[in-house]
Amino acid sequence: MPDPEARRWVGKRYKRKEDLRLLIGEGKFVDDIQLPKMKHAAIIRSPYPHALIKNIDTTQAEKLPGVRGILTGQDVKEMSKPFPCGVPIPPKYYSCAVDKVRYVGEPVAVVVADSRYIAEDALDLIQVDYEPLPVVMDIEEAAEPDAPVLHDNIGSNIYSHRLMQYGEPAKAFEEADLLVKGKFLFPKYGSTPIETYAVVASYNPVNQEFVIYNNYQGPFVNHSLVALALGIPENKMRWIVPTDIGGGFGTKTGVFPYIALIALASKKTGMTVKWIEDRREHLLASATGTDRVTYMEAAVKRDGTILALKDKAMDNTGGYIRAPEPGCAYRSTGNHTGAYQIRHLDREVMVVGTNKCLTSPNRGYTCQELYFSVERLVDMVAAQLGMDPAEIRFKNFIQPDQFPYTTATGGIYDAGNYQKAFQKALDIVDYPKWRQEQEKARQQGRYIGIGIATIVDPSVTNIAYVTTALTPEQRAKGHPKSGSGESMTIKMDPLGQVHVIACTNPQGQGHETVISQIVADELGIDPDGITVSNVVDTHDRVYTITTGSYSSRFASVGTNALVNATRKLKDKLFKIAAHLLEVSPDELVLENQKFHVKDQPEKSIAVRHVAGTAHWHQTALPEGMDVGLFASSLITMPTSKPPDELDRVDSSNTYGFCCEVIVVEIDPETCEIKFHKWASMHDSGTVLNPMILEGQVMGSITHGLGGALYEEFAYDENGQCLTASFQDYLCPTSMEVPDIDIGHVETPSPFTALGSKGAGEASCESVPVAVANAIADALAPLGVVINELPLTPSKIWHLIKEAKAKQA
Amino acid sequence: MQLKGKYEFNGTQQQVWDLFTNPESLAQAMPGCQELRETGPGKYDALMKIGIAAVKGTYTGKFEIADPDPPNRYQLIGEGSGSPGFVKGTTDIQLTGSNDKTIVTYQGEVQVGGLIAGVGQRMISGIAKMMLNQFFKKMKKELKASGSAGS
Repeated sequence: MPDPEARRWVGKRYKRKEDLRLLIGEGKFVDDIQLPKMKHAAIIRSPYPHALIKNIDTTQAEKLPGVRGILTGQDVKEMSKPFPCGVPIPPKYYSCAVDKVRYVGEPVAVVVADSRYIAEDALDLIQVDYEPLPVVMDIEEAAEPDAPVLHDNIGSNIYSHRLMQYGEPAKAFEEADLLVKGKFLFPKYGSTPIETYAVVASYNPVNQEFVIYNNYQGPFVNHSLVALALGIPENKMRWIVPTDIGGGFGTKTGVFPYIALIALASKKTGMTVKWIEDRREHLLASATGTDRVTYMEAAVKRDGTILALKDKAMDNTGGYIRAPEPGCAYRSTGNHTGAYQIRHLDREVMVVGTNKCLTSPNRGYTCQELYFSVERLVDMVAAQLGMDPAEIRFKNFIQPDQFPYTTATGGIYDAGNYQKAFQKALDIVDYPKWRQEQEKARQQGRYIGIGIATIVDPSVTNIAYVTTALTPEQRAKGHPKSGSGESMTIKMDPLGQVHVIACTNPQGQGHETVISQIVADELGIDPDGITVSNVVDTHDRVYTITTGSYSSRFASVGTNALVNATRKLKDKLFKIAAHLLEVSPDELVLENQKFHVKDQPEKSIAVRHVAGTAHWHQTALPEGMDVGLFASSLITMPTSKPPDELDRVDSSNTYGFCCEVIVVEIDPETCEIKFHKWASMHDSGTVLNPMILEGQVMGSITHGLGGALYEEFAYDENGQCLTASFQDYLCPTSMEVPDIDIGHVETPSPFTALGSKGAGEASCESVPVAVANAIADALAPLGVVINELPLTPSKIWHLIKEAKAKQA
Repeated sequence: MQLKGKYEFNGTQQQVWDLFTNPESLAQAMPGCQELRETGPGKYDALMKIGIAAVKGTYTGKFEIADPDPPNRYQLIGEGSGSPGFVKGTTDIQLTGSNDKTIVTYQGEVQVGGLIAGVGQRMISGIAKMMLNQFFKKMKKELKASGSAGS
């Protein structure tokens, strides 16, 4: 690792290269794509949560001038196959409902017309006869044997079910002085990216090839899924993702069925078809995180040591299950015990289906669900022991000298100093002072609470984790999976200018900027002159199945690939320069864009002359060397290995730390929450660009605040979605976000080239529970149980009312 | 969604019963009713244009007068669907007459689905009340008209 002090650009507040084009409306999104003779699609969606489709009459719609064709579930069934999914018996999930609908908003037919207006008008002319079926909306009811069954081929609503033991939980539970348990309900909540799903598909019957523009964020595993569903080889389907994507957060994973659907619409009608999802469709039927019911119990020693956890978690993926699920239940395996030295875990995992909209990862991919239980329970343990919630965390933290630390579940925590970061957060808030304030406030009948969450934020998913959905015996029969690869290519032109070809399709993370900073430091050049292309094209780009921007992987594996490629190029430049100067490469120094022999500055050659030689005078190169100047790196993380026979897996390959310390006050009349003080402390290793990191952390906090107080995809008991507009699905705006002290502790990761790792998901995992802990702490004298989100004023009002009635 | 209420009519129980089982009067009074066609005894097909907030659309549906107990009570069963979703409901209509006045009591449950549920739910009970008010007002007018026609 180069000396951090020598870094000129990494770690600096270098302004984002992306912003100018975005601010002046020159970004390039899928909706900017205009192709000759392009037609437009609109989708008719089910108003029923569960019903048989008796008949679809499209005759009137077909007669509407401008309508070019209609694709129904029957066409989809004939033209494609169900999407594969990594569960023992996958449901028959097609891109469009066939015979039966299983959630409100499920696509039933697609109209292709000359304009979106005509397509939407045509939807009104399609008559669909439904025969409603009984619905199941509750997670636990869905798992009961007498529940209405969604998929006959499965025979129950349980998509995935596993029992896992780590360490010796039974023994630990026997040795415990105290058992503390709770039931926790996490709501169905999601992301609301500013750009909705978007697809432009074109089928060429001459070479039987699809060209599909879309705004999918990777990984390219979904390219394989769509090819399998369409029954075509992958090289017959070219995906192109434009430079800009307006936010992903995991939600865009759910665009893949629409890629297949619009591809089929193109194939059937013979037209190039564009479909841009509208906001209502997005809120009703795109993808959300899973709602989860958790029963968690801790085995504790009287001194506060948490020996073991028992965890039964039930996730709900809605009307179907689709990739990357059942990842919801397995993705956090490696970090399941959070920031603590808990060596024993008894896990029961269940993924069920109800008549709700389908799921996708949601920023933090179920770590918010996990930590909502773990961190609430830690507070409950502290309360039972009469311990301070900060003290119990210090008691159980992994120690700084234990890193790299292997968790009971197989996670390999690369680096951290949790004590240091947490203490810093407590200091910023002035924790002892607020405990005193709280005492005073309580005597005055005011509700002040301090909420804490200390969590481990996994980044760089190891694709191996998905196979923990299978038992070790089932895994042994199948093909193993492992890896978290990323690819980067760097090239230098004959005048010595640098261009980087990335394949990370960012959705706002500023990769162009950070790539430029890193390369500038590595090559000693100015970042302004470096150009980056991040247009993904499956035909033109080199990638692996895990490539893309998800799981906060750029700062870890993305930078590893970039630094590796850049150093390969640099190595080649040194070799050429040494050859031209007739010295050995280790005698050379690169300084001010010149190579010179150590202690002989006059014996030098400019980088651009070396570059020029590589291109223009190829016979002058050292013998056996490839001509030209480029280098690629396709690498995975060294810890990306398959699960072992005990289901232990390093499910992510770097792990950051994050903690929140939040002081709230609840208005006893309106139950509105006021934030007095909030410190959010992060350790994501080396900071690459503080300005970009600030934006990421602020976004993540806000997203977490939405989950804590506002956001939920609500359904009535009949299965109707009640939150299909921003009037009812409440997202926090700048007005709802208080002043927050964001800080960083930098413990460089030994697993990455620059010591950096993911950061943009952390607070999304810690904020929901930290706010809940603050509210629980505020209302503790009333004996209120806080075990669900979002904590809306009306919910808090009812809880206070009930608690007071009980006390009276 | 639960709906209940009562309205007083200036007419005998039999007059009000006749009115409430007369498809023409019903069609006149139903907000947005474009067409009401009898398909069998007490069964009708309807075409209605209704706007709920931003959700406007045309619904085709069926109505049925079930379990009639003239002139005391019947059950109105209806369902309709259109591009904004569907509506279905069952309402008990009860008539209580004394002298020349009749009180019409209704109590029922309505279910909505699709877009109207997702976007309009928060406004829907208010709008349902408004539409019922319009309906009963018009029915009163109808009663007056038929009464004056008869005298």
